[in-house]
Amino acid sequence: MEIIEKIKTNKSIDNPTEIQKICLDKLQSSPLPNPKSEQWRLSNKSKLSNFLDYSVNEKNPKFDTPFPNTSQSTIRLIIGDNCQINLIEENYSIKQLSEDKLVKYIKEQISCFDQNENWSDLLNLSLNCTKNTLGLKISGSEIPPIEIFSHASSNSFNAKTLVIFLEKNCDIDLLQVNLGKDNSSLSQSTFFCLEENSSVNHGVVSYGENKSNLLNSLNVTQQKNSEYNLGSLHFKFNYARFEIRIQQSEGNAKTNIKGMQITKKDEQISTFTKIEFHGPNGFLDQINKSLADDKSHAIFEGSIIVPKIAQQTDASQLSRNLLLSNFAQIDTKPQLEIIADDVKCKHGATISQLNEEELFYMRTRGITLSEASKLQLSSYFQEIISFIPVSKDRWDLLDKLLNET
Amino acid sequence: MVNENLVKDAVKEPYKYGFVTDIETEKIAKGLNEDIIRLISEKKEEPEYLLDFRLKAFKKWQTMDEPNWAGLGYKKIDYQDIIYYSAPKQKEKISSLDEVDPKLLETFDKLGIPLTEQKKLTNVAVDAVFDSVSIATTFREELAEHGVIFCSISEAVKNHSDLIEKYLGTVVPASDNYFAALNSAVFSDGSFVYIPKGVACPMDLSSYFRINSGDSGQFERTLIIAEESSSVSYLEGCTAPMFDTNTLHAAVVELIALDDASIKYSTVQNWYAGDEEGIGGIFNFVTKRGKCLGKRSKISWSQVETGSAITWKYPSCLLLGEESVGEFYSVALTNNLQKADTGTKMIHIGPKTKSTIVSKGISAGNSINSYRGLVKMGTKAKGARNYSQCDSMLIGDQASANTFPYIKSQQPNSEIEHEASTCRISEDQLFYLQSRGIEFEEAVSMMVSGFCRDVFNQLPMEFAAEADKLLALKLEGSVG
Repeated sequence: MEIIEKIKTNKSIDNPTEIQKICLDKLQSSPLPNPKSEQWRLSNKSKLSNFLDYSVNEKNPKFDTPFPNTSQSTIRLIIGDNCQINLIEENYSIKQLSEDKLVKYIKEQISCFDQNENWSDLLNLSLNCTKNTLGLKISGSEIPPIEIFSHASSNSFNAKTLVIFLEKNCDIDLLQVNLGKDNSSLSQSTFFCLEENSSVNHGVVSYGENKSNLLNSLNVTQQKNSEYNLGSLHFKFNYARFEIRIQQSEGNAKTNIKGMQITKKDEQISTFTKIEFHGPNGFLDQINKSLADDKSHAIFEGSIIVPKIAQQTDASQLSRNLLLSNFAQIDTKPQLEIIADDVKCKHGATISQLNEEELFYMRTRGITLSEASKLQLSSYFQEIISFIPVSKDRWDLLDKLLNET
Repeated sequence: MVNENLVKDAVKEPYKYGFVTDIETEKIAKGLNEDIIRLISEKKEEPEYLLDFRLKAFKKWQTMDEPNWAGLGYKKIDYQDIIYYSAPKQKEKISSLDEVDPKLLETFDKLGIPLTEQKKLTNVAVDAVFDSVSIATTFREELAEHGVIFCSISEAVKNHSDLIEKYLGTVVPASDNYFAALNSAVFSDGSFVYIPKGVACPMDLSSYFRINSGDSGQFERTLIIAEESSSVSYLEGCTAPMFDTNTLHAAVVELIALDDASIKYSTVQNWYAGDEEGIGGIFNFVTKRGKCLGKRSKISWSQVETGSAITWKYPSCLLLGEESVGEFYSVALTNNLQKADTGTKMIHIGPKTKSTIVSKGISAGNSINSYRGLVKMGTKAKGARNYSQCDSMLIGDQASANTFPYIKSQQPNSEIEHEASTCRISEDQLFYLQSRGIEFEEAVSMMVSGFCRDVFNQLPMEFAAEADKLLALKLEGSVG
């Protein structure tokens, strides 16, 4: 069944909000992403259309897996959980955005959407009710680390939206965790707006259980002198797609991205990034790692766009991939589109397996094959994990990756 | 600060091959339909199987859509407004070069192509193709002594029909893509090379393509077969006169290398690129593919692409044989409003296959220069390796350079490495050279030539010198 049919038959849209109406209208004209468009070419269509096999769940049932204990200083928010926050402290403030402001901002964003590129956002916004949207305005300094959760419950479809405004000179650590459950679909759209001189260490950790699906879209706008650091990790999803769109609206900003995806069994996880420089002196350092085992399929497509105005841009992108099985598949497509002439841009890509010489060395020192390959993998993972902000420590990510996947 | 105008002035050398030869030609009516295809086939006195091949390709072509994924954004081509066969009128059969119309010889002389006896000292055998037909092939007797067959494809159809029937369309099937299907339906001439077992071809072979009439397209087809343990180096050059209209060139090149054979295919493409406003120029849509069928076989593509208004070209290697090797060395230069989308495909099928890609793109003026390449490791390509390097140089702030590498792997025991970088002519380097008394233009040309060195080293000697000169000419006046 076409996705649009599935959306239409979905009960949640009896009384659509204004945003839902706009998005549904847009989706109607192209119910499924155009398979000819590069962004969706490699997607497994049947997995994608399974995405809406579950009925929309607006309620937010208690999550039955306990979250790791939080330290007192951490602020923990769960999207949809009647989340209310209004903190005004001496050095900082975290305020919830009013509904009017949220709607206005999201409408502005929708007007700039490209149908093929922002299909995940359109789907998210057309199925999300206001209850599952969280908007925050953060200012000040010495802000405690923030954790934001999105989760799907079994046998249902959940759509969650997050909007964050970071005011001038603000500096935060933010960990976003997306948890999938058995037979569930989670659609997460995040809009991040960094004002001048602000800086964020953003971590995105997503993992699921059997047959969980995820569409995770992240839209970031950076004003000048802002710094955006992203560490991301996606694993254990039957189908997952992580879309990152970053715009340095005036250039003069810094972006660092370190992402990783791990696929096993017959999973398909893909990462798409599009980084645009709309002003001079932009900086980007990006590394994306994939690991594919069994019959799985890992995909990375990253584009860097440097128009004429973005002189003196310094951008580098590296895609490193490990292919561990004869039946697994890796596709990678780093791409550069450059018009400005005074720039430094480079990209690289490698696909290989674990280094045999290293393995041999460790085995001659009495380390068993499985331990040796674990050691190699942990060093491969560690580069990314160490980039995810502090509160990750409570999540034992390395242990999860080595033992659970 | 570098004076922009100085550099821009330095790339504006007029196209010196833009003259038209006034010669009586035989043309058929414009348009494309089954009758036209039958007529071409009839004029060339082709056997039945070839006519079938053409008609099947035409049927397929009618069902296909013109590809637009490269985003080249050219003006729509009216395929019914093209003459599909045009040949200079001459005597029925030519037994020696003396009987070739002197005007034709003069044309090739002007282009610097050695057809006449006194130029034979250069030791390069040439097949000269003028519009739709081959005019002359030199050194045939000498080559025949070694068993090498080098002739136009029309002659090969007549004299070596078994080889044509066996190999034509096996590397690039008629249904491969839109332009290959069009070429298969209407191809007029081209070169045929057969190197027998154990023979290292005693001289470089070369074909020279010249488009002369403005309203006819050129659809040549080249087929090179290297039998076991043989080797050949093949050069290809092209020019066209300056017309205000766009001329279509859709060629197909097929290479087949058997066990231990090696084929080196070099191209210097200098079709007319259109004027500064982008009026006129050749639309160059070419399908080039080599099949490394045998063990330890090797196919090496080297190309210097400087001409054409639009270039759409991906010389590829299918690496089937164990330990076979594919290579691709390319320099693509675009200026003014030229658009080039070029690269390669290395499809690793057999075990221990190796490929190397070195691509250098230089974009100046308002041009767009894209590298688009595919490296694929199939499930059986155990121990396969690939190394790719794509560098772009931007000259001026209006040109754009894009890199689109597609990398696919299904074999864990294989290695792929890809790197790409973008730079411009560094002011520090220019300043250094100028402070040593080297003139600005010479300094630019030295740096461009240094940038392309890895590729030029792979070209046959005569070509390398020519390519260096060609780049310097093309770039005159465009560095900023």
